[in-house]
Amino acid sequence: MSETTKHIKHVLSENPVTLVAAALFAFFVLVAIFGPWLAPYDPLASDTVTALKPPSLQHWFGTDALGRDILSRTLVATRLDLGIAVSAVVLSFAIGISLGLAAGYFGGWWDIGVIRLADTIMAFPLFVLAMGIVAALGNTVGNIVLATAIINLPFYVRVARAETNVRRSAGFIEAARLSGNSDLRILAVHLFPNILPPAMVQVSLNMGWAILNAAGLSFIGLGVRPPTPEWGILVAEGAQFIVSGEWWVSFFPGAVLMLAVFSFNLLGDALRDIFDPRKRT
Amino acid sequence: MTLPLLDVQDFSLEFRTRSGTVRALQNVNLRIAKGEIVGLVGESGSGKSVLSYAMLGISDAAAKVTGGRAMFGAQDLLTLDEKTLADLRGREISMIFQSPRTALNPIRPVGLQIEDVLRRHAVAARGRTGPDAGLGLRERAIQALREVAIADPERRWAAYPFEMSGGMCQRVMIAIALACRPSLLIADEPTTGLDVTTQAAVMDLITGLARERGMATLFITHDLGLAADYCDRIVVMHAGHAVEAAPTKALFAAPRHPYTARLMSSTPNAGSTLASLEPVPGNLPDLRRDDLPACRFSERCQRVTDTCRKAPPVLSPDDSHAVACWHPLMEAAGV
Amino acid sequence: MSEQALLRVERLSKRYPVTGKRGALLHAVADVSLHIGAGESLGLVGESGCGKSTLVRLLARLIDATEGRILFDGQDLAAVPAQRFARTPQRGAIQMVFQDPTDSLNPRFTARDTIREPCLLLAGMDAQAANRRVDEVAEQVGLPLALLSRFPHQLSGGQKARVGIARALAPRPRLLILDEPTAALDVSVQAVVLQLLDRLRRELKLATLFVSHDLNVVRLLTDRVAVMYLGKIVEMGPSSAVFSEPAHPYTQALVSAIPGHGPRIRLDGEVQSPIDPPPQVCRFASRCPVVHDRCRREAPALQGPAEQVAACHFAAWPVKAAA
Repeated sequence: MSETTKHIKHVLSENPVTLVAAALFAFFVLVAIFGPWLAPYDPLASDTVTALKPPSLQHWFGTDALGRDILSRTLVATRLDLGIAVSAVVLSFAIGISLGLAAGYFGGWWDIGVIRLADTIMAFPLFVLAMGIVAALGNTVGNIVLATAIINLPFYVRVARAETNVRRSAGFIEAARLSGNSDLRILAVHLFPNILPPAMVQVSLNMGWAILNAAGLSFIGLGVRPPTPEWGILVAEGAQFIVSGEWWVSFFPGAVLMLAVFSFNLLGDALRDIFDPRKRT
Repeated sequence: MTLPLLDVQDFSLEFRTRSGTVRALQNVNLRIAKGEIVGLVGESGSGKSVLSYAMLGISDAAAKVTGGRAMFGAQDLLTLDEKTLADLRGREISMIFQSPRTALNPIRPVGLQIEDVLRRHAVAARGRTGPDAGLGLRERAIQALREVAIADPERRWAAYPFEMSGGMCQRVMIAIALACRPSLLIADEPTTGLDVTTQAAVMDLITGLARERGMATLFITHDLGLAADYCDRIVVMHAGHAVEAAPTKALFAAPRHPYTARLMSSTPNAGSTLASLEPVPGNLPDLRRDDLPACRFSERCQRVTDTCRKAPPVLSPDDSHAVACWHPLMEAAGV
Repeated sequence: MSEQALLRVERLSKRYPVTGKRGALLHAVADVSLHIGAGESLGLVGESGCGKSTLVRLLARLIDATEGRILFDGQDLAAVPAQRFARTPQRGAIQMVFQDPTDSLNPRFTARDTIREPCLLLAGMDAQAANRRVDEVAEQVGLPLALLSRFPHQLSGGQKARVGIARALAPRPRLLILDEPTAALDVSVQAVVLQLLDRLRRELKLATLFVSHDLNVVRLLTDRVAVMYLGKIVEMGPSSAVFSEPAHPYTQALVSAIPGHGPRIRLDGEVQSPIDPPPQVCRFASRCPVVHDRCRREAPALQGPAEQVAACHFAAWPVKAAA
């Protein structure tokens, strides 16, 4: 068994919480992939006769105002939510890490420019930024992904910049220059793989945050629109019924959303342990 | 015979790690008399730092004592609870470390860091009688800075570690360690990484203060030459064993353990040439092995016999020039 | 002096602007001139802050000089900016072994990857030729081939040091800079590595610049030595002469501080600041045990009767050791 596999196994077994997080994460990924086939009912099929029925054996999560099965809608929504989150994080990661690497390595105007950009982005609340982008570019899922990606950019920029700064004057970087590496090659081959571990932890934390962002934006009507099932929309649809006692319409999608974010955050700890070379003997 | 200040008897310690149990120390005997300066010499992996950390109860969480005692006066350090140990640290036994900058709090003025120790051990109260009577904490801290030859101590009291050079930070660390006048100072490679001239100055300072106060010092180093210049006695360690212990002059005149002899011959000094350097053959044995030979130097030694592999040689601490070897070198040099 | 010196450094200086103080300059390296012949070994000693790391990085072309020339085989390397030096043909001719073997190896590269990189990038070899070269040079430094597939954290200190040396030798350099190559190693390993370095130097007829704070070690491996203090060379000459009869008061103090060398010469006083030092004052004046008035009016140049030179007006005077 390779050393990496052994190490991963150890990390997973050392802390039961980590194992739970990994299991939950695997569960969500599976649901995202197989959701539509797992759903017992058509998530879009409405049936006003069975509207607002509480949880029962036929409808585990109950039904909503249009008689749609909430369990099916929640399951199917997983794919969209995870999809938005993953796209946003990947976009954020690629751009943010590149900018941070350049800022940390070259310093000077690169550094100043990138930091100012990050500061500017951090000054915007997500909703304001999203609304701005939507107003300018149109109300589509793609633009929501863009807004979420931009909002998370500073995290990656900062991680990459800090880690690059630390390593920039390390012996092996100087040695790389002596071995004939150009600056670009040093960034790509020597620095990037070494700053990956701390960046990976950031990725996991960001995923949870990105899911919340997507749900929040949908809640206020930006991006995904009904009848497309998406956790935020599901919660929004049920909000008006809480007072009148039909708690399950919001509760279950909300609970699943919470569980998803929770498992991604827990996973961050596990990822950090897996990637931390000091944890290895 | 007077009771030694620190008497480590038959001390064994191991680390439980994912890749096996590391038998870091085995049956180590070590004695330090009051006011004596003892050098603990060994290479990396010899266990010298592990030993001192265990004395103070600050070992790594994976460490486990598997035998022996560490008598400090009438108390066995290994059996004391954390509270008693905490009272002992800084007050009776102090320690200084290798990198002074990381041992100091970067966001606290150095004078305050000295006062912290004084306050912890309620020394100001104790100082109502005696030579420091009447001095407040601040004055005592300034006095401590003066004693370690830091110029302009009143002003330096407010300085932060980043404003000081490496040598000065080391002096501050010494001041903190000695603030409560401990009877034993453990110095773990205090001059590694310092320039030669700074190294000399720091060593002069430590040994000067030790002599002045009758303070015993355990000086841990890998530099045999440095130990030779400053220590009364030297204990040589190899792979978790104490292999030789002797007064400095006797050790250098006639080393009796083959490892000690090799260590000496591989260190360049004024008279050596490249060709005359004789490195120690082989490598440190992996301390996780179950089949470690009884004498852990067996696989690197040219005088090895079957006895060496089977029966552990013992260092008897009562001998003035003690050696743990079945075939020690005799008077004349040579392997 | 050899006209055909492999490396000739002329009046090299490096000054850094000081943050916070407008116009102030930190003189890290000041007016350094030296030469190394082919196959010759020059030692460079000095304590922290003396500028030897900066000088080493200037010569290795990792940073640019403020002034001066670095003539390698007649060509001025200082004319090419450090940024672009990696792509010149001389890059492979000057290589360096670093101080901390752990820090100077990419933790994600195997030993083979590390040693192979310069072969691919500098010597323009293809993968097969590069692998052969890696094997060849690993054998030269006594690194068992089985260890080549390991990562740095799986290697001992001595093994990592050998990887660093192999990497430096792979592109067949003509000048090898050794920056405290044994400082981080245990004494017994140090001896082995020193003997290895000496053997390689003689076999490969390499010119070497050996930087160390350990004077005993430098004495063993070098033909000549230069002593630096606050950015300037204060003494230079044959190693045996400089160590047994140091002429400059600083060298005398340095030699006396080696354990076992008898009574120490104490240097009291503050170290002069390297920021905007007054040009007419000898930089050692503030701590010199034999300082005179003249030392503060006229900075001494390197001078001497024979091969050994010292930057001191009173070089021949013996210094009394502190009792």
